[in-house]
Amino acid sequence: MPHQMLVPRKVSLFVPCFVDQLLPEVAVDTVKVLRRVGYAVEFPEDQTCCGQPAFNTGYWNEARPCAEHFVRVFKHAEAVVCPSGSCVTMVRTFYPELLAASPLREDAIAVASRTFELSEFLVKVAAVTQVGATFPHSVTYHASCHGLRELHLRDEPLQLLRQVDGLKLIEMVRSEECCGFGGTFAAKFPDISAAMGDSKAESVAASGAEFVTATDPSCLLHLQGILSKRHAPTRTIYLASILAQQSLAQEKP
Amino acid sequence: MVPEPAAAGSDRVIVGPTINEPVIFEPVVDPLERFQQECVGNLMECALAADSAASAQQLSKVLQSLPEGETFVQDDPLLRLLIDLAAPERPIRWSSQGAPGEASQATVTLAEALIAQTGSILVTASCGGRGASVIAPCHIVYATLAQLVPDLATALSRVSQQRKLDRNSFACVISGSSRTADIEKILVQGAHGPRRLVVILQTGT
Amino acid sequence: MSQTAAQRFLQDAALKSADLVHREIIQRGMDSYDSAHLKGRARIKDWEAARQKCQEIKREAVNHLDRYLLQFEEKVISRGGHVFWAANAEEACTYVKNLATRLGVRTVVKSKSMVTEEIHLSPALEKAGIKVWETDLGEFIVQLRDEPPYHIVTPAMHLNRGQIAKLFREKLDPGIESDDPVDLMAAARRILRQAFFAAEMGISGANFLVADAGVVAISTNEGNGRLCTSVPRIHVVVTGIEKIIPRLEDLAVLWPVLATSGTGQGITTYSTLIGGPRQPGEVDGPEEFHVVLVDNGRSQLLADAEQREVLHCIRCGACLNICPVFRHVGGHTYGTTYPGPIGSVLTPHLAGIKEFKHLSYASSLCGACSSVCPVKIDLAHHLLQNRRNATAARATKSSERLMFRAWRYAMLHPRMYALGGWSMRKALRMIYSLGLAGSILDPMRVWNRHRSPVPLPSESFRARWRKSRGAN
Repeated sequence: MPHQMLVPRKVSLFVPCFVDQLLPEVAVDTVKVLRRVGYAVEFPEDQTCCGQPAFNTGYWNEARPCAEHFVRVFKHAEAVVCPSGSCVTMVRTFYPELLAASPLREDAIAVASRTFELSEFLVKVAAVTQVGATFPHSVTYHASCHGLRELHLRDEPLQLLRQVDGLKLIEMVRSEECCGFGGTFAAKFPDISAAMGDSKAESVAASGAEFVTATDPSCLLHLQGILSKRHAPTRTIYLASILAQQSLAQEKP
Repeated sequence: MVPEPAAAGSDRVIVGPTINEPVIFEPVVDPLERFQQECVGNLMECALAADSAASAQQLSKVLQSLPEGETFVQDDPLLRLLIDLAAPERPIRWSSQGAPGEASQATVTLAEALIAQTGSILVTASCGGRGASVIAPCHIVYATLAQLVPDLATALSRVSQQRKLDRNSFACVISGSSRTADIEKILVQGAHGPRRLVVILQTGT
Repeated sequence: MSQTAAQRFLQDAALKSADLVHREIIQRGMDSYDSAHLKGRARIKDWEAARQKCQEIKREAVNHLDRYLLQFEEKVISRGGHVFWAANAEEACTYVKNLATRLGVRTVVKSKSMVTEEIHLSPALEKAGIKVWETDLGEFIVQLRDEPPYHIVTPAMHLNRGQIAKLFREKLDPGIESDDPVDLMAAARRILRQAFFAAEMGISGANFLVADAGVVAISTNEGNGRLCTSVPRIHVVVTGIEKIIPRLEDLAVLWPVLATSGTGQGITTYSTLIGGPRQPGEVDGPEEFHVVLVDNGRSQLLADAEQREVLHCIRCGACLNICPVFRHVGGHTYGTTYPGPIGSVLTPHLAGIKEFKHLSYASSLCGACSSVCPVKIDLAHHLLQNRRNATAARATKSSERLMFRAWRYAMLHPRMYALGGWSMRKALRMIYSLGLAGSILDPMRVWNRHRSPVPLPSESFRARWRKSRGAN
């Protein structure tokens, strides 16, 4: 991934479909944080989906046109930032293969090289870890799988969290074990998905943290459902939503 | 490494290795020390002996600690000598008389090599046969320091170069006493093979 | 009406994933493996370089499979051994059975071999009146329970000592009082000793076939593999063709990597090399040596350039150990010889995509398997490819195909997508306000079975953005 590109001052926001529909505050907070560190944010309204649900279920012929649509929408973006490691993985890791025979192949590779998950954008491209946030609570971190294993995000989210004023970072056991969502996996194998979520909820509870965060809001959506059903006190909160929090002194008048 | 330019007027170019293969295993600096360390971890015994007399003493000690019964010994001049020196008061069955059986309380063999990296002994069929290193509850290996090689790569490449497997249908790298962790992942020593593996390592003559 | 493999899997998975006792046992076993594995990794200076080297070795072997297998065969034959090329399970079983009958074999001792499970060798021999003893302690235990191995490396990890002691009392010797693993092993050793010395034939698998030396490499910790291949007068090796490696020296990295990934050890206790029957001048050893090379679908996979690397597998079990799906449903739920990620990838190729494609879907695609595989097989990616192949083979439900066609339409038409999303939220809000969450009318009922309902905001992000024209 090229970091030597010109540092952009404007980014295009890609909002995963489920964030758009079910967790809009994730995107709102992402915009807040990006603006606070000095970026103008545009939201191309023709965007829909990166194509991952169809791709992961084996429907590559259906995923392909969806991916091509994405490439067309973001073709001229200086940088694309997305609050989801799994969607970014789809674009960076799998678009080259999915669109190998497409006339948009070259464009796809170019767009992919400029598409970033939020924490990696902040730390590696914008080169900031201090975003002026305050969140005086204990937080534990779940290492969402795609971010961890495909995008190699190990430190970036933690570097950001450590700079948040008042935040107490607590390590979770088996933090790298999958939460069990997996997209269509949760629909096809609901019992296994729930059991995996249950184990993750145990790890979260054992940490004693008030909040659990991750780079993938889909993990958090699934976990929150399980935690609420168990009447567990821990709440999920997406990374950007933590970073968007400010003390009264920090907020601009 | 960049090839050196030829000296003026000379036709020769000195070329060295151009690809640096990554080092997978930490090179073994002190093979003897490493071998002894690994033996501890492998639950096998390594007894150093300065000379044949000391080796014979070690052998006696081990045999005396075992229940009554015959000892199977690889028929080799070195071991004939060692047994003479040790003069154990128990029946000896030489490999030339046949393979070890259930009656054997211990087997005594030579080895092809000792491997420091993994704390292993390398035996072949020439070391008293296949059963010698597995049938009896105690296997005693008589080896010399000269037989100690630093690592698996060296040991295996020697086996290839010396074409040992052309003349032997069997070889084995043995790295400890027999064990299992099949029940609750708890380590139990002495499964089907020997419970004790003893290496008498003679450092001098 | 009999169940399909997929239906059985769903049923067993549901039961096992809710079984908290099972979960606890497996968790403890895996924790033990995790710490041993970490220690083992620390012994290797450059683990990534080790993986890379192993991948290269296996790639070279598999890409020139025929050449290396022929080299291996020639050497084995030169020492007086026999090599039989079995196209499928039936041919392999018939060969071994005929050999046993011809040579008057009444008892067989076996060391662990997943291929013999794959071809169902033991039942074939037993039908011919031959008694087969599994000698690996874990295999011995599951054989007594008449169940398949739970895990390819530790077959009985799902049982505790109390269960094993009870089993031994019932099936072996009512006098066994203790449930201490030391005593249980001693009991097994006592009984199997008689089998080792009575058996006319020993059957083993192979961890590797070494082409240049023409030897079979067999690794065990217990020494049972050693006894199976030393005492009986006939030794038969049953192995997949993909186990071949080019050179003896390749074992210098493969042996430590196999042991590290399998159990966390630096090397397996008995790393044995066997190239033939007893040679003239040798003290002991079998009079006959046979190697049965099993294809059983492997050459088809070999022909698939995209997925050929699945044949690189050295059967270490690391992917099983790290897989969260395996940890929650256990090895028996898969209902196949090879469970876990490697099983999910391999089984549709060996046993049919229509019947076993569900295994490739039973994964959240977390990628942990790919990250631990010591020969760098990108298992998660192969699962995706298997899924793509299943759709291409029209092995998926027509309702699902229709659904994704509709999905595609919506995703290419942003207004339709926005309208669809809005309608879904509205419908769900209505259904939930009527108290019908979880009912047959609730499209999210599968979700709601185990989780509280998803949030249903009144406005999507794009609606908010458009309203505020990006000002918020």
